[in-house]
Amino acid sequence: MTGARAHPNYVLVWYWLLGLALASVLVSALPLSHTFTVVLVFAAATVKAVLVALYYMHLRFERWLIYALALVPLVLFGILLLVLLPEIVSR
Amino acid sequence: MQQTHTHAPTASPTTALPTGKLGLWWFLASEIITFGGLMASYTVLRLAHPEWAEAAKHLSVAIAIVNTAVLLTSSLTMVLAFAAVDHKNDHAVRTWLGCTVALGLVFLLIKAFEWSGKLSAGIVPGVSGFWSFYYAMTGLHALHVLAGIVVNAVLLLMALRGRLWPIATRVEMAGLYWHFVDLVWIFLFPLLYLS
Repeated sequence: MTGARAHPNYVLVWYWLLGLALASVLVSALPLSHTFTVVLVFAAATVKAVLVALYYMHLRFERWLIYALALVPLVLFGILLLVLLPEIVSR
Repeated sequence: MQQTHTHAPTASPTTALPTGKLGLWWFLASEIITFGGLMASYTVLRLAHPEWAEAAKHLSVAIAIVNTAVLLTSSLTMVLAFAAVDHKNDHAVRTWLGCTVALGLVFLLIKAFEWSGKLSAGIVPGVSGFWSFYYAMTGLHALHVLAGIVVNAVLLLMALRGRLWPIATRVEMAGLYWHFVDLVWIFLFPLLYLS
């Protein structure tokens, strides 16, 4: 399976990754509300993760089965958080 | 003389996917749960303990952003090694694999510097819940980085000896693992240093 694969502009993706990393550090240094900062910083991290998964791990060019393998544990992670969080909220 | 022959990876008859890639993604799925369990526990306990924010202020964002840049760059060099395999460019495969191994070592060196600073200041894993999570999560991640360095170094050695081409598809598998390790750091960075 070598040769005929799509190779997106990896360097451009890297610029975005570095830019988002720097932006999240700058945002965390600004005098914003803590909640707002956390939302922005994790939004940037999520975009970085999606960029790495889609382009560097080639999920964009994969079949549905690979998506299923990657998404099922993420759903389980979400359930884990949802099950645990009420413990904190109810305090 | 450069050999360009590569064995076609064996595809599973039911999925039509290369078996190695399928197995690697199964492994990564289990890894998501390993790190996910730690991160979910940390998030819930962090919300329950606002005082952990004070402990987190002892961490150096400057060191963390440099290490983030190092790891993100190593992901770029790894994917360039994979592209070089596709283009059958022997020299580029060696160069990019070498850069990935070197950047992985730089990441570990910086991490060791950070840990030694904390340990010599008396901040050991048992000081508080925050520091237990800090050492557990960054330690487990560093072990994964180390494993990735070993795999990439073996592939580099084989490339230097001209024996990589029959197993060149393993560069893609090693890359998937390496990018996953990068993904984990992408979330550890804000979890520990920025929130």
